[in-house]
Amino acid sequence: MTGVAEAVRAHLPGLALLAGGAVAATLVAGAVPGLQPLVVAVALGVGVGNTVGIPAVAEPGVSVDKLFLETGIVLLGAAVAVEEFLAAGPTVLGLVVAFVGGGLLFAEVVARGIFRIESPTSSLLAAGASICGVSAVVAIGRVLDARGAAITFAAATILLFDAATLVAFPLAGEWLGLTGRQFGVWAGVSMFSTGPVAAAGFAHSPEAGQWATVTKLARNSLLGGVAVAYSLAYTARSAADPGVRRLWAEFPKFLLGFLLVAAVANTGLLSPAALASIGRVSDALFALAFVGLGLSIRVDDMRAVGAAPVGAVLVHLLVVSAVALAAVRWLL
Amino acid sequence: MVSNGDEGSGADRSTAGAGGLVDRWTALDRGWQALALGLGVVAAHLVGQAL
Repeated sequence: MTGVAEAVRAHLPGLALLAGGAVAATLVAGAVPGLQPLVVAVALGVGVGNTVGIPAVAEPGVSVDKLFLETGIVLLGAAVAVEEFLAAGPTVLGLVVAFVGGGLLFAEVVARGIFRIESPTSSLLAAGASICGVSAVVAIGRVLDARGAAITFAAATILLFDAATLVAFPLAGEWLGLTGRQFGVWAGVSMFSTGPVAAAGFAHSPEAGQWATVTKLARNSLLGGVAVAYSLAYTARSAADPGVRRLWAEFPKFLLGFLLVAAVANTGLLSPAALASIGRVSDALFALAFVGLGLSIRVDDMRAVGAAPVGAVLVHLLVVSAVALAAVRWLL
Repeated sequence: MVSNGDEGSGADRSTAGAGGLVDRWTALDRGWQALALGLGVVAAHLVGQAL
C-alpha cells in the first residue's frame, strides 16, 4: 500500500488546509445571519492566498479542489427535479446555444476590430468568455497550438473577471430582484468559469445555485463543438484533430455523472434521508472546492493583465449580460 | 506496471498493485474521476439503504 500511503501523505496538508477553511467558513456563516458559507469559503481562500500564500507542502492537496467541485456537481444531480428542468430545458438550452454562438462571434469582433488583439489571443479570450473560462482557454489554446504566453495572458484575464463577477453578480441579482431561476440562468449564461458561476448562484439561493450549475454545464458541453469549429477555422496552421475524437476529448465527462445521478434520484430509488445525505456530501465538497477557488485568485497576477484584453472582455461581458438579463426576464 | 509472472513476493505484488492503482487513478481524466467518486457516493447510499 506504499503508493497509496505516499499519495495520501502528499495530499494531506493541502486537504487539511481546504478542510480547515471549509469548517471556518461554516462557523463564520453560522454566526452571521444572511452570510452564505460558500461565499465565506471563497473569501477566506482569497484572504489566505493573498497574505500567507499556499505553503509548497500544501500545493498537491489544494490542487484537488477542481475534482471536489466536479464531484459536488455530479452529486448535485440528486437535488435536481428533472421534471422542472425538462419543462424549462428547451428555453434554457436555446439561450445557451444562442449566447455561446453569438458571444463567440461578438467577442472575436470586439477583440480584433476594436481592441486590435491578434489571433489566436482573440480566440482564446472569446472561448474563455463564451464557454467555460480557463478550461476553455486551455482547450482552445491546445487546438490552435497557441503559445504558452498567449494562454497564460488570456487565462489571467478570464480569472480577473471570474473574481470580479463572483462579487458583482450576486449583488446585482439582489438589486434587480431576480427570482432564483432567473438569476441562476443569467449567471450560468453570462459568467465565465464553472466554479465562480456555481458560487455566485449559491450566494443568491440554493435554487439559483442549481439553475446556475445546470445552465453552466449545458454551456460546458458545447466546448467540444467549439473546439472542432476553431480547428476547422484555423486549418491552415492547425495540427489539430477535428472530428468526433476531438468532440469527445473536450466533453466534460462529469456531466454524464450529473445526468446519471439525476436519473437515479428521480426514479425514487433513493429515500428522502439518502437524498438529504447526498446533498450534505455535495455541500461539503462545494465548500472545500470554493476554499480552493479563493486560494487560486491572486491579486498580484491580475495586476499584470493588459488594458486591451480587459477592455475587450469587459465590453463582451456587459453586452452579453445585459442581453441575457433581458432574455431571462422575458422568457423565465 | 507490467506483471512479470512468478517473480517477487506477495508483498511486492501488493505494493506494485497499489502503486499501479494510484498511477491509473492519476492518469484518469478529472471528469472521469469526478464521475466515479460521485457514483461511488450514490452507490454507498443505495447499499446503506438496503442493509
